[in-house]
Amino acid sequence: MNSSSIFKLDKINFSVDGLKILQDISLDIQPNDFTVLLGPSGSGKSTLLRMLNCLNSPTSGSIYFNDKLITDYDITQLRQKVGMVCQSPTMINGTDKEKLTMTQKWTKDGEIFSDNGLTEILEHVGLNSEFLDKDARSLSGGEQHRIALARVLLNKPEVLLLDEPTANLDPQLANKILKLVYQLYKDLKLTVILVSHDHQIIKQFAKRVAFLIDGKIIEEGTADIINNPQISAAQAFIAKEAE
Amino acid sequence: MTQSFYAITWMDVLMSLIFVAISVGLIRWWKIGIEKTLLIGTFRTFIQLTAMGYVLTYFFQQHHWSFMVGLVSLMIVIASYEGYRRLKKYKIPNLFWILLGSFFFTVFIVLGLILKLILSVEPWFYPYAMIPIAGMIIGNSLNSATLTVNRFVSEITHRENEIEMLLSLGAPVKSAVQDSFKESVRAALLPNINGLMTVGLVQLPGVMTGQILAGIDPLIAIRYQIMIMYMWISTATMVDILVLNLVYRQFFTPQMQLKRELLRKG
Repeated sequence: MNSSSIFKLDKINFSVDGLKILQDISLDIQPNDFTVLLGPSGSGKSTLLRMLNCLNSPTSGSIYFNDKLITDYDITQLRQKVGMVCQSPTMINGTDKEKLTMTQKWTKDGEIFSDNGLTEILEHVGLNSEFLDKDARSLSGGEQHRIALARVLLNKPEVLLLDEPTANLDPQLANKILKLVYQLYKDLKLTVILVSHDHQIIKQFAKRVAFLIDGKIIEEGTADIINNPQISAAQAFIAKEAE
Repeated sequence: MTQSFYAITWMDVLMSLIFVAISVGLIRWWKIGIEKTLLIGTFRTFIQLTAMGYVLTYFFQQHHWSFMVGLVSLMIVIASYEGYRRLKKYKIPNLFWILLGSFFFTVFIVLGLILKLILSVEPWFYPYAMIPIAGMIIGNSLNSATLTVNRFVSEITHRENEIEMLLSLGAPVKSAVQDSFKESVRAALLPNINGLMTVGLVQLPGVMTGQILAGIDPLIAIRYQIMIMYMWISTATMVDILVLNLVYRQFFTPQMQLKRELLRKG
């Protein structure tokens, strides 16, 4: 195993009620990589992503984060270092400011953000200080995605996990959100792992790609494999998506 | 007017079947179709309460504290099982033991305070005080705990995504379920609090009614009733918070992952 990996997945299997969701997954993610997990719906991409935030545990196999078993970490601290934005960001009652600062309640030694600090984070995601007093649930889809990103960035994560961040968004907005994510990846030197089934948008940003089909990684490599997949199942998936 | 206690007879009880007859008549007239269930309930009421009367008569003749403590403990075990039976559709791990432990703790604390500190009953295990008061505490604990757990499961099912979002941001489990917890306790306590607001305005409460019928001075009866109302709210609050503090942990793994399978009813 490459000891400089930020994430190492070693023979991960995951089953639910006898149904195999992930089979024998081994993967190395390098620091500062922009990795895309690509594949059709039901291929296990989201399940794999959730494991990196420890929202699920594998049935067998091991996951290492910075060379340490994921289960040896304080789980709350791990989840702050490995931030996750779900497909449809959940917005709960309250203003954006309340929702952004709620993490301070459970972070003992965490930074207390002033309005200026919060504004800086909002500006990172393309919003401004006016959003501090807005009700999170009154925001547009794109704005909610940005708030969800800001929420995670307040924890100063090393890794950003994104589950289908452009699902339910029109292509123009989807492109804006992905450009924002890519900008954050560059500016904040993050490691990004993104789940998608849309290879057209992703190939602009991805550095590395792993194809998942039926719970297995069938092909993995640089972003070039999107244009020239070697395995027939990956070729079929790309061809179908192009239709 | 002279107060006197009227010892109701079995003939009087038989005559009260007229009320059941009125109900059956109305149900049949409107073709509601539950007269059979009503008649079974009527029969069971008679048998169960008669049996309870003889059982209580026997227990009230006992003179050792271990007998009373044993009886109250048995009542708690039965209530815990009944609570488990009402909630077993949720398949919450260790639920029976959670209810049992919570009821034991709450009942004996509240019962101890009432018998020793407030009423100064001598001896403290005097059955005419201990058994009915324990019965009220246990009954109230059962209803409140059932209500709060039902509401809690409904809340966390409704907030499933919100809870996982909070966990994914690094929230401890307790923080992730905080809103669900508060809503559930609120929902369970509101009936008791509403009772405090309306008692005596709409109807005379049961304990007071029973005492007045037995010839007790109303000014003494209301003191008992006030004490019991305060006892109920305290019991409900203690048992709800205790039960939920133990129940919420059952929905999460040691790695602070939500056990989604528990939210899908069996």
